[in-house]
Amino acid sequence: MATEKTDVVIVGMGAVGGILAAELGKAGMKVIGLERGPRLSTADFNPHDELRYFQRQELRPNIKRQPVTWRPNASAVARPMPVLNYGNQAGGGTVHYGTLSWRMHEDDFKARSHTVERYGAAAIPEDSSVADWPVSYADLEPFYDQAEYELGVSGKAGNLQGKKIDGGNVFEAPRKRDYPLPPLMDDQSGVLFAEGTRKLGYHPFSSPRAILSQPYHDRANCTYCGFCQSFGCHVGAKSSILVTKLPEADATGNFKLLTGTMCYHVRTDNSGRATGVSYYGPDGSDNTIEADLVILSPFIYDNTRLLLLSKTDKFPNGLANSSGQLGKHVTAHIMAKVFAAYDDRFVNVYMGPSAQKHTIDDFNGDNFDHTGLGFMRGAQISVAPADLEAGPIGTAMSLDPPPGVPKWGTAYRDFLGKYFTRYAAINAQTENLAYADQTIDLDPNVRDQYGMPAPRVTYDWRRPNELARVEFLMQKMEGIGKAMGASKVWRGALSPGAPGAHHEGGTRMGNDPKTSVVNRYGQTWDIPNLFVIGSSTFPSMSGFNPTLTIQALAYMSADAIVKRYKNRPGALV
Amino acid sequence: MKKHDESRREFLVRAAVGAGAAAGVVASAGLVAPDAIAQSHEQMEGGSSTAAAQHPNGPEHGAFFNHADSATIAAFTERLMPSAPDKPGAREADVLNYIDLALAGAYTDLQEFYRHGLAQLDAYCRGKYKEAFILLVPEKQDEVISAMEEGKATGFAWPAAKEFFNTLRTHTMEGMFADPLYGGNRDFAGWRLVGFPGAQAIFSPTDLQSKQAFNRAPIVGLQITAKGPAARG
Repeated sequence: MATEKTDVVIVGMGAVGGILAAELGKAGMKVIGLERGPRLSTADFNPHDELRYFQRQELRPNIKRQPVTWRPNASAVARPMPVLNYGNQAGGGTVHYGTLSWRMHEDDFKARSHTVERYGAAAIPEDSSVADWPVSYADLEPFYDQAEYELGVSGKAGNLQGKKIDGGNVFEAPRKRDYPLPPLMDDQSGVLFAEGTRKLGYHPFSSPRAILSQPYHDRANCTYCGFCQSFGCHVGAKSSILVTKLPEADATGNFKLLTGTMCYHVRTDNSGRATGVSYYGPDGSDNTIEADLVILSPFIYDNTRLLLLSKTDKFPNGLANSSGQLGKHVTAHIMAKVFAAYDDRFVNVYMGPSAQKHTIDDFNGDNFDHTGLGFMRGAQISVAPADLEAGPIGTAMSLDPPPGVPKWGTAYRDFLGKYFTRYAAINAQTENLAYADQTIDLDPNVRDQYGMPAPRVTYDWRRPNELARVEFLMQKMEGIGKAMGASKVWRGALSPGAPGAHHEGGTRMGNDPKTSVVNRYGQTWDIPNLFVIGSSTFPSMSGFNPTLTIQALAYMSADAIVKRYKNRPGALV
Repeated sequence: MKKHDESRREFLVRAAVGAGAAAGVVASAGLVAPDAIAQSHEQMEGGSSTAAAQHPNGPEHGAFFNHADSATIAAFTERLMPSAPDKPGAREADVLNYIDLALAGAYTDLQEFYRHGLAQLDAYCRGKYKEAFILLVPEKQDEVISAMEEGKATGFAWPAAKEFFNTLRTHTMEGMFADPLYGGNRDFAGWRLVGFPGAQAIFSPTDLQSKQAFNRAPIVGLQITAKGPAARG
């Protein structure tokens, strides 16, 4: 059993932890980072292996040792989820993610008030707890910019200080300057998608991705090998936290990373302050870190779980839970899919960065009139391989054959044999609303390798608002598939209620301590030296992948901690 | 050395030389990262590699399955991905070898799942058809598989019929398409079936613009790049 003292302890060294470690370290604060997985290097990702990294999920939490359970509703028994779509190593999910790097729209930050203003209060499902953010796009713009330029994002501006630019996303909020790197090259699925959607009057563009289209900051550019989603990059062209902020944190001399460590408790004293954390070491030892500032930045489940497990007499319902909102308002994207296949040409969708290659934003957020549609908010629509990963195992798992073709046997073999190189998947990443009964709590039956109760997710996306949105989008995507000139267009199967990727909520941010867990900086209302930063604080999710917004929030929190909290610890708002 | 090992050896040599040459071409266009060049050199030098993972008892089974179970798995997976002339299936890919090795290694925790599943499958076939699965004609075998897929096959407790079918389908696809390093996808049978070129380190702008099948470079697998200097010669 070891006890160490430090200024700051950060739990989870992913998209948020790495940024905080580097920024606070640069400001002279001594930082210890806890990471339950290993610290890998670019050399570990060569050569690529679909079985190991995609199918067996080696860069993700092990579903047996680190189970997270799911049930569709409170009367069902929860079962361990078969895939955990987040990271389990230094750099977190940014090591294996698809790298989509979006700024949310202005109205994404006020999904409730904007909807009420344009369509009236009745347009919001009565039971939805979708809420405005306590932060605006304008507040975050400088930090979006910082993330794009420090990490390295490739794309083309569509709205430069209010001037709309064809070829970029004309629906994006105004940005002060263009991306630091030009867009990545298009593959054939991107070309087909761009042609098809333009015919329909939509506005296609190359998706902004944290992959280097040119050498940048002494890092090599992308080789278009296609192994992105689920894989580490074999040339370090993916702007993961592993190759960007962690080396920067190392260079400060103020950062120590402890890998193979599992934080199981946040320590608090009778005055109501956090005093540090307890963790299990890789050798099974039980250790303590005493810290002036505790920052939680694991994936969302572990924020709620840690705060619940750290309850005391003073905080009987878990830490930072005086509002009773801890673990609530959880939501997640689902991916509705339409497949387009060609008899007269090849597509070779396995080439080039694999996730959401080309996008239209025409049906996202409130970029289209929802009057009479029966649902609010929309989805980002993009083109990609069936599972955003293009290898044949993933394709066999996710490319549902068209109606009339079975999933095995001679006809299936011939289908896969012919169309593996001749198809593209059109995906709608839907902005599902938050509902108070979509929750994370502690599973009473399932425990992890440390004997801790597994996080339990109660969630079913199939609400009337969400089902109506999916049907609308499916029809749009079928139209796109036909406009792309495909020989065959058909719908993919929908998930049976389970959450997809990008989970949000559980420690919601807000302006009011009575209805939220943290403030805009991720500082808990109840314990000023305890921060929770990441997508668990999102009050709504947008149809965009969350990572760049998570990173912008991390930069904003780091800025507030360094400029204000460091000299005068206390409530930041 | 068995015949398929010889052809694999020849294939790998061709693959290595081709990959090196291709990477060299793109490198001169200034698009390739140093790692990729180093890798391609390694491929050229270490190309004449040995066969993929095989356990001592032979190329098909013995790490986990007994003879009867291996015959059942071979027959079942062959119905899921049937072989035909010029269309490699589970037999050509040696899916049985993949599953057998996986159950003795990465999937050790599924051994009981398979034992129970196979026993239930056998009981179901003997109950309904008075024969073991392997003795049924292909049409009857397909009937059994359909009944499992639809959850209609009776007598299954754990694993449920559908669950066992789903696992067998998943493992068949893994055996068809995982790198040959893991004992299936023999001679890249699965990748040849679908036209996947493997773990190419790079695609050029011309590749990305092509509407044709990709056949500039040969298939690249793990074996040729995984061999360090000690394993050479």
